Amino acid sequence: MNRAILPGEVVLEDAWRSFPARNDRAATLKELFTSFRSRRHPDVPDTHALAGVSLHINRGETVGIIGRNGAGKTSTLRVLAGIIPLHHGRAECGGRVATLIELGAGFGREFTGRENIRVNAALHGMGREEIDARIDEMIEFSELGHFIDSPIKTYSSGMLVRLGFAVAAHIDADVLLIDEVLAVGDEAFQRKCLRRIAERIEEGATLVLVSHSPATIERACRRVVVLDGGQVTYDGPTAQGLRFYHRQLGLEEAEPAMAGLPSGAPLAIAQARLEDGEGQPRQIFAPGERLRAALLLDPVPAAAEEREVELVIEVRQFPDRPVFRTAQTTPTGAGRRQVSFEIPRLNLLGGDYDLAVGVREGGEDAPVVFDRVLAFSVVAAEGAEGVVDLRGTWELEPTPVEVRP
Amino acid sequence: MSDGERGRRHDNPRNVFRYGYLFSQLVRRELRQKYKGSFLGVLWYFINPLVLMGLYGVMLGPLLKAVHMPDYWLFILGGLLVWLFFQQSMLGAAVTLVEQSALVSKVRFPRETVPAAVVTVQLVPYFSMLVVVVPLALILRSDASLAVLWLVPLTACLFAFTLGLALMASVLHAYYRDVYPVLMAAFVPLFFISGVLFSIQRLPGLPSHPWLGPVLRWGNPIAPFIEAVRTVIYYGQTPSATVLLYVLAASIISLALGTAVFRRLEGELAVVL
Repeated sequence: MNRAILPGEVVLEDAWRSFPARNDRAATLKELFTSFRSRRHPDVPDTHALAGVSLHINRGETVGIIGRNGAGKTSTLRVLAGIIPLHHGRAECGGRVATLIELGAGFGREFTGRENIRVNAALHGMGREEIDARIDEMIEFSELGHFIDSPIKTYSSGMLVRLGFAVAAHIDADVLLIDEVLAVGDEAFQRKCLRRIAERIEEGATLVLVSHSPATIERACRRVVVLDGGQVTYDGPTAQGLRFYHRQLGLEEAEPAMAGLPSGAPLAIAQARLEDGEGQPRQIFAPGERLRAALLLDPVPAAAEEREVELVIEVRQFPDRPVFRTAQTTPTGAGRRQVSFEIPRLNLLGGDYDLAVGVREGGEDAPVVFDRVLAFSVVAAEGAEGVVDLRGTWELEPTPVEVRP
Repeated sequence: MSDGERGRRHDNPRNVFRYGYLFSQLVRRELRQKYKGSFLGVLWYFINPLVLMGLYGVMLGPLLKAVHMPDYWLFILGGLLVWLFFQQSMLGAAVTLVEQSALVSKVRFPRETVPAAVVTVQLVPYFSMLVVVVPLALILRSDASLAVLWLVPLTACLFAFTLGLALMASVLHAYYRDVYPVLMAAFVPLFFISGVLFSIQRLPGLPSHPWLGPVLRWGNPIAPFIEAVRTVIYYGQTPSATVLLYVLAASIISLALGTAVFRRLEGELAVVL
């Protein structure tokens, strides 16, 4: 099974990694030199950060890794990044890897944002020409303006995220390994980062995102891996995975941000994605383009009897301003099926939006349980601003109007 | 260029050449950090050795009358040059991985570049001194000659020798924080027995302890480097073949051993730091 790995592919095969129970250095020089041999076997009574993790991620996938503290999330990421070696098994990322593991990695506090961009890009293996060619783009992306030439000790953590992400986003990586960091910083910039990630993924990059926040994972990832005690306890579609994770935490009712369908729901949304007119997955649209929300519905076995429920689609201007809602009655018990909602002309103007998919049972006044939130962005249109695209024609030919006294 | 090509070109961080720019950035950063905010800046490159030279020169010459040598200060400078490069590199490199732990434990890159940058930075004061000392030696010392050209291979060997030990010190200090204090403590006596202030072969006490001469001369690997550089600068002579061979062998062994130890231990760096 040792065929060459493709760019964008990520492989973990029976990965084991433990850390000494005492979280400090090896005690004696002798132990140090024998440690390699003795630790190679996974049966040492140390803390297992990874205990036989196997994962195969294909090019273009977006995978979120979630789990409680100490479940092995960060270790998995650090192993994939090649920062920590495995004791047993195989860990490989194909192609160029961008890691964004902690705020300010490699940042010298006395140095300016610009200098830090250079060092950080160089750390990721970029050469002088490549950095020279892209640094303006990075600075522009960071939106730090003239602060880019101030020492970064004056920066807020949000500004550091901007700097770190500006570099990571321009490495043209095949694999993006991102830990928590996105959670810091203002939402508009987070949005921009997610959009940038989405662009990279459309170009074939792979995302592995570690987060405590189900909302972030839901927004960015189609697949989720739940880790517990260094083992994979769930690997599959995000919605179920997050529900599984919440059950694991003993939180049957999810926090409102992710709002999973309650267990008594008559329908489960197995998959949801946005597509363009050709049926290709897309996150970024131009005003007037065709947008389609493709859903894969599963009947819930518990709800054996046929019930009438409504599928609800709501479009919100980011972060939470509803601009459109529609509902459609649908039967529940017909097996797994594909449904879709198509907007032939997306009459929205430039900005960030969410398309939320939910279920409502019991008429118009009943609450809607939103299960999926699909983020998309619309590029700015010329000659128009606002939310709704009502671009029309001006008539400016002078038509004399008689003014009577 | 296709994604595939790019992937293959970039996927191996062992490919140190790809990180050449990183290395130059680290060197620049180290240089700037060193004298940032200091009024005299690069002048400090000269002040430290000149103070030491003046102190020892006056103490051992006119005051204690222990040494009677023409241009004794030049004799001291010839050895001090090597000693300061070695000592400053080792002390700087020992702590560098710990100081840069944020870098080392968050990104994958060839970590050798970090201690290597510290050693490289020490070439700046070394060459600054050389630029002053060599012309002075050529003018003042009647027996100065083309032997100064030996400085080129000798410097290369000194660099390799120091780099090897520096790699070892940096990675070991990450595991055992005792390494730096041990080095600090060891460098004081080492300075006095390395022959910076006198010729080991001409110590007045040696004839009564004949075994001590070879131990001092060959048992301390930095001593032959000092002897060789001073032979060239002060005496204007080619170092003896034995010394040259010793220097070459020491640099090769040190670099090989240092690289091996570093490679062996660097994997766990993110864990121990």
